[in-house]
Amino acid sequence: MIRLERASLRYGDILGLSPTSFELPDGGGITGLLGPNGAGKSSLIQLLSGLLPPSGGEVGIFGESPFRNPAVLTRIGLVPEGDRFPVGLNGTRWLRMMGELSGLTGSALDESIQRALVAVGMETRAQLGFSSMSKGMRQRIRMAQALLHDPDLLILDEPFNGLDPEARLNLMELMRNLALGGKRIIVSSHILGEVAQLTDRILLLFRGRLLAEGSVAEIRELLDRHPVELRIASEAARQVARWAVEQDELVALRMEDGAAVLAVRNPRDFLPRLQDAVVTGQLPLRALDPLDLNLDAVFQYLTKDHA
Amino acid sequence: MSTHAIPTPFQTLSAVARGYLPRVMQARGWVLAALPVLPIGLFLALTTILKVQGERIPPALYLSAFHVVLAKFMLPIMALVAAPAGIREDIEQRTIPLMLARPSTIWMLPFGKGVLWFGWGALWLVVACAGLLALGSSPEAFFYQAAALVLTYWAVLAFMSLLGLVFKRGTLWGALYLFIWDPLVRIFPGNLQRITFVHYLESIAGTRSTEVAASQLLAQEQISTPVGLAILVLIVFGLGCWALCGWKLQATPLGLAGSESEG
Repeated sequence: MIRLERASLRYGDILGLSPTSFELPDGGGITGLLGPNGAGKSSLIQLLSGLLPPSGGEVGIFGESPFRNPAVLTRIGLVPEGDRFPVGLNGTRWLRMMGELSGLTGSALDESIQRALVAVGMETRAQLGFSSMSKGMRQRIRMAQALLHDPDLLILDEPFNGLDPEARLNLMELMRNLALGGKRIIVSSHILGEVAQLTDRILLLFRGRLLAEGSVAEIRELLDRHPVELRIASEAARQVARWAVEQDELVALRMEDGAAVLAVRNPRDFLPRLQDAVVTGQLPLRALDPLDLNLDAVFQYLTKDHA
Repeated sequence: MSTHAIPTPFQTLSAVARGYLPRVMQARGWVLAALPVLPIGLFLALTTILKVQGERIPPALYLSAFHVVLAKFMLPIMALVAAPAGIREDIEQRTIPLMLARPSTIWMLPFGKGVLWFGWGALWLVVACAGLLALGSSPEAFFYQAAALVLTYWAVLAFMSLLGLVFKRGTLWGALYLFIWDPLVRIFPGNLQRITFVHYLESIAGTRSTEVAASQLLAQEQISTPVGLAILVLIVFGLGCWALCGWKLQATPLGLAGSESEG
């Protein structure tokens, strides 16, 4: 269904995506594209959605190249990242135009618009102008335009940006239902937790390279090997340090004024024990600050690890 | 598996033109409408005041209004105002990927937006020409003047749209062409006049704004093109420019950032 064979993408002298190969099978399901900003997620999405041709290698969607190929594009729905809309139009009119550009006409078009708006919970507010909509409402309309023509492949680039928690949950529910209904969904994010709630299959990208491909558990295992720095502020920092050196996960320790800075592996095992120690009064803790829990740090570590 | 028909070029044209229809009723659209109508309205107001005061109105005033105000000044400005609202606007707003990711006829997208701005501008050019009747123009002259303005607007708008797709600063190049090249060529050897818009406009209208005096340095005899041929040249030139716009968009990989990739 989706097949990349050493597909790469250049922007002039800049390599957006190194030669990348993978296959996704036929049938419904959700695949997460995970990576920090600049990892190549959008480059990959542009290849998959047929916006750009590969600079090298091949991209095959439903057995054909998607670039400027209406037969393939009619089966793809794209939700690009960013809050961009044509100025001066309202949601309904724009959706109608997008539906017509997907080959929908007459009552089929009306029904598709209504169905898509209901799916994203915008059926009563779509007639508003884009400038009058909140960012979350515009995101829902963007989602609706991708659903209009009932695509077999739905590609979403950072779809949760700007959504409130309720809208986020609704969107996740919608995506799960679509996947259960046989749609293949590719969703990009730089937040592992977000992707992990949706899918068990992840493509991990970093600096334009496909770093790993696997289940959430496998990726989590990779991430857990990265030592996380935690700054534990306490009036008894030395007592914290003494407790920490007894823990298997400790990799490094340094003392700061009124705090102990710990580097620990497997924070998911370590943190519950720390919590227990605080709750039972073993450790007097004033504050806990994770210093490098961002994905960039994790990916830096992973690339060093792989090298 | 979804089984939707692929939209035909005409469906693409219709979808884009109808989808963007509200845009011409917004600020830019009303500026476009005011450009030809407002000056003629001022002419009418002034002549009415002069008539009330018993002053004599110059008999060829409508010719000056047509050639100096509408043809030389307002029409190029209209094209410079309308062209950036075409497909260039979608590229700059980075909304074009949402259209390119659809199975529509991509080469028809520039014309789909352009035809909307052409129709709107042409309507107000005709209204402005109708105002010339009150300034002394004849019904026969009205027909040729309106045809000259509308067809020249068609060709100039298409040309400006093409420049906007080829160059990042297409409007600047367009302004240079319209306001430097066109007037300059009037004193250059005869056949060079044929590569100006003004030449065809004046050939269709049947009148000229000014004759080049023999005393002028480098002055050349002005030439004319038969009306039918002038009409044909403008129509074909406009169609050619729209076709090139379509080809350029079809052939240019435009990503989410709106910029070209090496592909």
